[in-house]
Amino acid sequence: MGLSITWYLREFLRMEWLRKFFFAKTAPLVSPPYFKDYPLTTGHECTACYSCMMICPAPGAIEVLRHQDHWKPMIHRGHCIRCGLCVEACPEDVLWSGRVLDQQQQQKTEFRSWYRLTVDDTLCMRCGNCAVSCPVNKREDPQLASTGTSANDEVIMKVEGGRLRVIHEEKCVGCKTCENNCPNKAIRVARMVEGIQEEAA
Amino acid sequence: MSILQKIKNTVRSRSIHVAYVDVGSCNGCDIEVLACLAPRYDIEQYGIYVHNNPREADVLLVIGSMTPQWVDKLQDIWEKIPEPKVAIAVGNCPISGCVFNRWHSYIEPPVAKYIPIAAQVPGCPPRPTEILNAILALAPTLFNDYEEKKK
Repeated sequence: MGLSITWYLREFLRMEWLRKFFFAKTAPLVSPPYFKDYPLTTGHECTACYSCMMICPAPGAIEVLRHQDHWKPMIHRGHCIRCGLCVEACPEDVLWSGRVLDQQQQQKTEFRSWYRLTVDDTLCMRCGNCAVSCPVNKREDPQLASTGTSANDEVIMKVEGGRLRVIHEEKCVGCKTCENNCPNKAIRVARMVEGIQEEAA
Repeated sequence: MSILQKIKNTVRSRSIHVAYVDVGSCNGCDIEVLACLAPRYDIEQYGIYVHNNPREADVLLVIGSMTPQWVDKLQDIWEKIPEPKVAIAVGNCPISGCVFNRWHSYIEPPVAKYIPIAAQVPGCPPRPTEILNAILALAPTLFNDYEEKKK
């Protein structure tokens, strides 16, 4: 009897045991290096190309704003999902988070984007509004007719042989003026993004 | 300050009872709360106990983007929690609706419209450490000297 009480006291009144019992803590928790936190700015100059805003999957998470004399992307907490796509998409490396940029440099990956024009022929009524309103068309062929016909083959799209033909899709800058001026919503501008990787030399 | 108040402060800082309610989330944040319970983050070593009974809770973790069906039910749950109480919004959804906050989606964020939110933990999902830090930073300061403040 007496022995067991002594044993208990000896066992439980050890400083080490008491400390472990009352102040037990797991190791200090640190973010792992692969963790993508909210993107921060590197200080490189932002050219306001809006690549980050266009690739962002979360509504209202990133905004490119004007600060006195320069542009700067703003990340909104509570909206941002920390996916790191804006960091990858930025051609100027304005943003950084985790090791996204290092990995991108190491693996020589990048995003390539272009615009795809699709015309629904059943909706299109060949009014030529898209060809007339397009600012790139205006530059390529100032003589473009009000019906959308043109003798020039350098334009993005023109009405030819009774239907709208898209000739130089690659010249599209994605302003969507044609989409806004189409009475039937027949023409659609879609931004296509593709991840590409350079072949190792 | 009375000795009783001091004892209450000590006890409250070491014994925080948490209830969580999912008001329409994708389960991502729920899994992060679950990770807090697991040995790696081990929420109970800080004296925080999770059980889903609002009647014995001090802290309510609100997770999810607030579907309309939850509007009255969340208020019911909030009223069932005894004073002193706080609500913490976990994740982007209760703050902004996150990726669900699009045209024609059937949600009504933010949660702060319906119950008083004391703290928000942004992230989609937030890390378990961030949830832990929010509870640990907020609850003891708010519950401290509760009876004195009430007077």
